[in-house]
Amino acid sequence: MNTTIPYKLLNGIGILIVVSIFAFPFVWMISTSFKSLGETMIFPPAWLPESLHWENFTAAWNSGPFLTYFKNSIFVSISILILQFLTIIPAAYAFARYQFKGNKFFFALTMITLMIPAQLIFLPVYLQFSAWGLLDTLWALILPFASSAFGIFLLRQSFKQVPEELLEAARLDGASEWKIILKIMIPIAKPVLITFGLFSFITHWNDYFWPLVMTTSDVTRTLPLGIAKLREVEGGVAWHILMAGNMILVIPILIVFFFAQRQIIRAFVYTGIK
Amino acid sequence: MTWNKIRPYLMISPAILVFSLFFIYPICYMIYLSMHDWNFVSPEKNFVGTANFTNLVSEKEFIEVMQNTFVYTALTVSLTIIIALILAVWLNKSGTIYGFVQGAIFSPHIISLVSISMLWMWLMDTDYGLLNWFLNLFGLPSVPWLTDPSTSLLSLAIVAIWKGIGFNTLIFIAGLQSIPRDIYEAAALDGTNRIRTFIKLTLPMLSPTLFFLTIIGIINSFQVFETISIMTQGGPINSTNTFVYYIYEYGFRFFKIGYASAAGVILLVIISIFTIMYFRLLARRVHYQ
Amino acid sequence: MAEIILKNISKKFKEEEVVKNLNVTIRDGSFTVLVGPSGCGKSTTLRMIAGLEQQSSGDIWIGDECVNDLPPGKRNIAMVFQNYALYPTMTVRGNIEFGLKNKKVPKKEREILIREISEIVGLTDYLDKKPNKLSGGQRQRVALARAMVKKPKVFILDEPLSNLDAKLRSQMRSELIQLHKKLGTTFVYVTHDQVEAMSMGDEIAILNKGTIQQMGSPMNVYHEPNNIFTAEFIGTPAMNIFEYNKVKDHLSNLSRKVKFVGFRPEHALLALTEKEKDAGYLKLASEIITMETLGAETIYTVKNEAGVMHIKSFIPPFENAKELLVSIPYEKLYFFDQEGKRYRSVSTRQMDTALAGGA
Repeated sequence: MNTTIPYKLLNGIGILIVVSIFAFPFVWMISTSFKSLGETMIFPPAWLPESLHWENFTAAWNSGPFLTYFKNSIFVSISILILQFLTIIPAAYAFARYQFKGNKFFFALTMITLMIPAQLIFLPVYLQFSAWGLLDTLWALILPFASSAFGIFLLRQSFKQVPEELLEAARLDGASEWKIILKIMIPIAKPVLITFGLFSFITHWNDYFWPLVMTTSDVTRTLPLGIAKLREVEGGVAWHILMAGNMILVIPILIVFFFAQRQIIRAFVYTGIK
Repeated sequence: MTWNKIRPYLMISPAILVFSLFFIYPICYMIYLSMHDWNFVSPEKNFVGTANFTNLVSEKEFIEVMQNTFVYTALTVSLTIIIALILAVWLNKSGTIYGFVQGAIFSPHIISLVSISMLWMWLMDTDYGLLNWFLNLFGLPSVPWLTDPSTSLLSLAIVAIWKGIGFNTLIFIAGLQSIPRDIYEAAALDGTNRIRTFIKLTLPMLSPTLFFLTIIGIINSFQVFETISIMTQGGPINSTNTFVYYIYEYGFRFFKIGYASAAGVILLVIISIFTIMYFRLLARRVHYQ
Repeated sequence: MAEIILKNISKKFKEEEVVKNLNVTIRDGSFTVLVGPSGCGKSTTLRMIAGLEQQSSGDIWIGDECVNDLPPGKRNIAMVFQNYALYPTMTVRGNIEFGLKNKKVPKKEREILIREISEIVGLTDYLDKKPNKLSGGQRQRVALARAMVKKPKVFILDEPLSNLDAKLRSQMRSELIQLHKKLGTTFVYVTHDQVEAMSMGDEIAILNKGTIQQMGSPMNVYHEPNNIFTAEFIGTPAMNIFEYNKVKDHLSNLSRKVKFVGFRPEHALLALTEKEKDAGYLKLASEIITMETLGAETIYTVKNEAGVMHIKSFIPPFENAKELLVSIPYEKLYFFDQEGKRYRSVSTRQMDTALAGGA
């Protein structure tokens, strides 16, 4: 390893450049969100706003029913999370621990699902929801994601690693299968569950595509759609308002990321090491 | 003992129901629709066989969409992987600073594509954007990033690369860390120089990771939608219209359901080929361990 | 407390029959050891008693209840596993408490029980620790405490000492024996180690290939093995067994059914030369191959017309000897038939006449 002073200097400058490329756009977003309209229309750009225009945030928030969007986003992400936990835990346990006819077939079905992106099937699913009269409802946003093939896959791996004797000991202790899942399997798989939970929540919090396809009215729309709509204000794009609106979407995630960086990175990198 | 026999089925049934209803059945329905002519409103679906497919591939717009998708994918995947590999080799060190850098380059991955698209629209603004200010700083002329057909697709690729590099770098780092140290020690004892070690040892050992990221990258790039929908709406002059956006427009704007489904089936076939390829080679193991 | 009866128990895994028509009665309050080589079906038998494995046919009775259809948790059995199987996410207290909670024992009662048990096994200071903070011996104690606290009718132990080091193992061995005396509960213990079986059990069942070879007290199976398998399996070094044909010259006139002859290594007498023509011994002139002096005893490996055999001797070793005379009293000889079954109708008198006839 080279430890000469010029090398260290070069390395340091390189790191600075890399970090700027990835962090600076966010800094720019924050800076813009506090600017006045005039300050976004000068060139060369002003680095920092003369004074902090907090009213940009209220302007963004009041430009549409943002409280509804926000509530919908929270409700949809949390509902999906809860339903996913309810469906993937028993399924992963069955796949990991029971021998039954069709075991392989159903697991293959799950794996196929893992490979199908939402972008591929939105049209037939849309038609289906339309036939059921569930278009433009929160059902259409939640139900398709009520289970997760990826979650089952992850959890099955971790359930498989639990030694069989532990389950036998619990059975001898008079525990029912549900109790075994609740008191033994879930505590052991807690890190994986947290990892998956973060992954799922962030994914659905951020999702733009599915609500765009499935909803048409403000009562059912979520935050990303509301933010995207900010573009359509009359009289050209108001960047300072837009950036302020995006801060509402980004800040919660960045705060979570700040506190749980390691788990989140693991959550997303997991998808890469499956 | 019948309860014990039923229980596993009971446990998997909610998940299987969701998968069948929202993934497996829609795929079948889409294949069915692709062979029909239907405008969503009329009660009748007319069977037209493969007409949708033949019309589709002979249509200039669709050919353009295919081209755009391929160019976009090739640009995004190759550049992301090359840059990520360089960053991974460089940043694969322990220490707080490197941990922070890894976190920083990863952060775009967890931000909503809506925000990323808008942020980059702002950065790429022709008149007041930061990117053009930066170019001017070096005496270069301003670029109409998103408003000129010759640069729009590249601009979208830049956004995708910026977003994807962190994820790819971290996976490469994980791959690098799984290479046993003693191999390098053996190479060092043999007096192999650094570049040779990288080409002859590191790269082959990384080949499963490299392959995985390539396939995942291709599959993801083929589905690009959000950035297009927000930043360019397929324009200017169809220059950024890609697969999923095309399906979306035909389905929801022009209500040519059969047509959109046929395009969907083509996308399904392409994605399936790459997925099967991935599993095939995974089974054969790209590299001995 | 209860006796366990296995009636015509068989267990098949796919096509393979691992337990064949087993009929065993495990006495109430006994310390019964199931011992045998790996794959003999001892663990499967144990797991069927516990209800962790369903028998293919036959009935299992615990006390006066047929438990065929009872799930493991309802059989009133406690089990100690080879790897302890402690719940890793629960504290020691949580581990001990889990079974009680499932039985819906009220909190106050649980606390009294836990205090009692943890004092007996010496875990009082560790109640709030997780298993991964404990040593191997302590984990073993938690496993025992978890089993004891349920006050089960039957204790089942599946090679519980095999993960401990030698010193701890012998300590735990005597602790288990004391524990059994104190509780008076039926213990069923599985091991592949015949020394453990001999030293701990008051009843030993020797299994091979899914069938019981012999069952009885340690002394009984040692001195009166029913067949070659038992004879060779119990005791170290193993019983010396050779074909009758090879020693026919010394032991003529035996029944035609006798095919094998055996004797225990410690029952042979050693001498440098034949002192007197005393009758009543099988005498074999042997060549010494190796000699292991262990202090109190010496183990010789010798070769003679019957083959290679081990002799255990308690007299001072014959340092420079190359050859020895091995004499085995007739009454210490064991005879077996073609199938390896003990052939008992050879009396000493018969042998005397055989000798007389030979001379």
